[in-house]
Amino acid sequence: MAVLTAPERKSPARPPAKGKRVRGPRRTPPLVLAFVLVPLLVEAVWVFWPAAQGFYLALTKWDGVSPPQFVGLGNFREMAHDDVFRSAAGHTVLWLVLFGGLSAFLGLAAALLLQQERRGVGFYRAALFLPVVFSLVATALVWQAIYQPDGVLNQLLQSVGLGSLRHAWLADQDTALYAVIVPALWRQIGYVMVLYLAGLKGIDPALYEAAKVDGASAWQRLRHVTLPQLRSVNAVVLSVIVIDSLRSFDVVWSLTRGGPYHSSELLSTYMYSTAFQSLRLGYGSALAVVIFVLAFGVICSYLVRAFREAD
Amino acid sequence: MTNHQPDRRRFLAGLGAAGAAALLSGCVTSTSSGKSSSKGAVTLQSNLSAPQAKAAMQDLVAAYAKKGSERASLNTVAAETFRTQLPTYLTSANPPDVYTWYPGSVADAYAKKNLLLDLDQAWTSSPDLKRYSKALNSLCTSTSSGKKVFVPTTYYWWGMFYRKSNFAKWGVSEPKSWDEFLDLCDKLKSKGVTPIGLGAGGGTAWVASAWFDYLDIRINGAQYHRELLAGKHRFDDPEVRKVFDRWQEVLPYFDPNGAAVAFQDASTSLLNGRSGMMLIGTFFADAAPKNALDDIDFFRFPIIDSKIPLAEEAPVDGYFASARTGRYDQVIDLMKYLATAEAQEIYIKGSSGTVLPCNPDAKDAGTALVKKGRAHVDSAVEITQFFNRDSSDALQPTADNALTKFLAKPKSIGSILTDWQRDAEKIWNA
Amino acid sequence: MSANSTALRRKRAATAGFHLGAGALAILWLLPIALVLVTSLRSFDDIAANGLGSWPHSFTLGNFRQAWVDGGQQRALINSLVVTIPCVLVTLALAAMAAFALSRYELRFRRALLLLMLGGNLLPPQILLIPVSKLSEVIGIFDTLPALIGVQIGFGVGFYVFVLHGFMRSIPAEIQQAAVVDGAGPWQIFWRIILPLTRPALAALSALSFTWIFNDLLWAITVLRSDTKMPITAALIGLQGQYVSMWNVIAAGSVIAAAPTVAVFLRFQRHFVAGLNLGAVK
Repeated sequence: MAVLTAPERKSPARPPAKGKRVRGPRRTPPLVLAFVLVPLLVEAVWVFWPAAQGFYLALTKWDGVSPPQFVGLGNFREMAHDDVFRSAAGHTVLWLVLFGGLSAFLGLAAALLLQQERRGVGFYRAALFLPVVFSLVATALVWQAIYQPDGVLNQLLQSVGLGSLRHAWLADQDTALYAVIVPALWRQIGYVMVLYLAGLKGIDPALYEAAKVDGASAWQRLRHVTLPQLRSVNAVVLSVIVIDSLRSFDVVWSLTRGGPYHSSELLSTYMYSTAFQSLRLGYGSALAVVIFVLAFGVICSYLVRAFREAD
Repeated sequence: MTNHQPDRRRFLAGLGAAGAAALLSGCVTSTSSGKSSSKGAVTLQSNLSAPQAKAAMQDLVAAYAKKGSERASLNTVAAETFRTQLPTYLTSANPPDVYTWYPGSVADAYAKKNLLLDLDQAWTSSPDLKRYSKALNSLCTSTSSGKKVFVPTTYYWWGMFYRKSNFAKWGVSEPKSWDEFLDLCDKLKSKGVTPIGLGAGGGTAWVASAWFDYLDIRINGAQYHRELLAGKHRFDDPEVRKVFDRWQEVLPYFDPNGAAVAFQDASTSLLNGRSGMMLIGTFFADAAPKNALDDIDFFRFPIIDSKIPLAEEAPVDGYFASARTGRYDQVIDLMKYLATAEAQEIYIKGSSGTVLPCNPDAKDAGTALVKKGRAHVDSAVEITQFFNRDSSDALQPTADNALTKFLAKPKSIGSILTDWQRDAEKIWNA
Repeated sequence: MSANSTALRRKRAATAGFHLGAGALAILWLLPIALVLVTSLRSFDDIAANGLGSWPHSFTLGNFRQAWVDGGQQRALINSLVVTIPCVLVTLALAAMAAFALSRYELRFRRALLLLMLGGNLLPPQILLIPVSKLSEVIGIFDTLPALIGVQIGFGVGFYVFVLHGFMRSIPAEIQQAAVVDGAGPWQIFWRIILPLTRPALAALSALSFTWIFNDLLWAITVLRSDTKMPITAALIGLQGQYVSMWNVIAAGSVIAAAPTVAVFLRFQRHFVAGLNLGAVK
């Protein structure tokens, strides 16, 4: 699942923090307290409580049927010697760099291209964003059809005389991971684009005017006005991308299941197959804990910095 | 609500504490002792989601309702979902009563964990089950308790399937021995046909296990094969190595896209004459056009060592029940009905008709193909089920990994087998 | 005069270049979707004979009937809507409440609470599958739509709190102070002032959460067991199992399954950028 975030406080006109002390710090109206506690309770029941159990399972050996055995940190020790874990972690990093980097870069490029309100721009934005709302199941089917040995891509290559490049894209260990990144990007770029569009909208036009008066070229305006102004959006996009990369599961699982022989295995797919195919639920939970720690670490380091800046 | 704690890290650390652990373990992992309701119809959870099979199951349930006072309610789930959820179903507090699944080690694994209902009552009181073959009797008996835990209803067989008209067109005939088989492959290749179709891609990697199973039971015998799958031999033993040496002899004749397409697509290639033959179970015919059915034929996987007792792969399908059902009497009644010739004939008539009934009195579909299939299975001294059925669903992914890797890199077989053994040990020790 | 016309021509060329580039990109993006649409209208024999990539040689609407009736998509679509609509409403209501309290009042530990709520969303959902299915059993709602609604709300709320918190924080405090002076309580401030100002964000989020909940498969197969209760995504998976390599029926099913989310998206489209932009404009 992708994550959407609003650009954080980038308005120069943001009110000073002290303005928020509407009621003073000491007495909180009970209703306000209830406003926090009710959603928190719902989340506690459906997420925190099950998650706590998941964390406990990470310390056990469990086949899902007989009673679990407590093994302490045994699962984490096993990871240290697990080749598949190591290669899955490597692929996750590669995924982070390729999928993350490309979706940020191409999303920004698309946003810059489509930022001006002009005729037809709504259609182009809609076209880029449409894959975001397409269900994963449907997405997987389309791309399977494209990557089939006699699927659309190979037929296309054949018809333009590149028949020698025909390939079993998803079944070849050298291409599987990259073949899976493409549909993931297809779904992500429109989404990143929208985040950047919102950010670009918020840039004060006066800054551009001033830059123009100073004789700055389009490139210089981009370099010295747009990019610095997008800094806070960049941070949001970065954390969104990191989270999405670490949790990327659905597209990979439905297209290759991490195969052939682990060549497109990510931490998330390895976790799923370990837990639900090999029925090693303890080890699978331990892998999930690793993914969580990585994602939480990234987002926390960003948020803590953001909070510090806000104070 | 410990969540009010401001410090997330401390909260997490707290979870590791033994006290919390003991508290938590009470909930998630408990196989709660509740029983399912004793009211209402018996729930029958089915993975037969192919259109014909689903319709056949509906006919069967309707016929059961007409027959007596009891009712069954059918719940069909996509096969893939069913497979991953089965452990959850069986351990849930209010489980479905009866399930479609497989006998042998797979069922035995659940029986060992006391999840399956003792069906002795059905076996001793049903006139039909009393007449079931000895082999089926032992197949459905739990090795741990000695009780019957399964009611078999139909079986099918694996073989080298081909189209008669295509073989006639190419001027080739069924081979008997391994050498004749290699000759046949050569001839097909020279005619520009892909000799052997596979279909171990697109989510059906398990199809490749049929080749492993067959080569192993032809070279090392069914006894060794079962022991290997139970962890009594090692995958990096020289016996297993021999299997792959044989496989390498025919590997050049395999469809190069064999590991990239699902078996259904490989079946289409076979029927269209793009590939010559395919080692597959009769279920592939479910997707075949009706007019092609009469043209389909098969031959026995070639004999490699005539000293090895003849074994064939003929998986049995049927039903088991949850130990925690609250409708014991109704379940037994339904099981006895499923074992009757009538019930099995209704299913065979409604489905694609390529399966054989377990009831000795039940009539099969009567086609030439099915008659040949029955003789094929009857002539075997030993019957194996299939890789996952003779081991466990959890061991199957290790085979899928090893075999797809072998298909892509046959030269690195040494390291593949070492890895396979290591992965399998993790499953056996889990 | 001539300088003017040169500028005009350059502008025209730039516009043409823009439409060429953006148009090519849009076509590239829409191509896979077009492929599904075309495939859903072809007959099986056509695809079997000519392949998926070929130009269509047939036209039929029968695939849709097959997916809709035989594939059970009709009931599944109703299930999906029954789950999705209350989920979106309740989740956003809860999230707005929490975001309001956390952003407009100096609660103790508000940052820790915000992090905690967001933290729930960073968990890989797979770790929760088994505990959640056991939990719904314990509560006694396993295999019912309320269980699915419950878990969707619980799992979604943290993230929406995070987003709405960002928005509400940027609403100037003076507006609220004026209301307090007029004697408004927290409920009035929330309902009359903050919520209306958050509307664009809520519109964008409701559209997004609609697509996310509607497209979910993992939670559905975790807490549901009966085929009659499964949502559209599970039905589509079932369809895939039933009609493997019958790409035409599967494509038709995909089109049916995608129709509601595309409709919602097109309806709320203009809110996406505007809704995300509130914080910046103010």
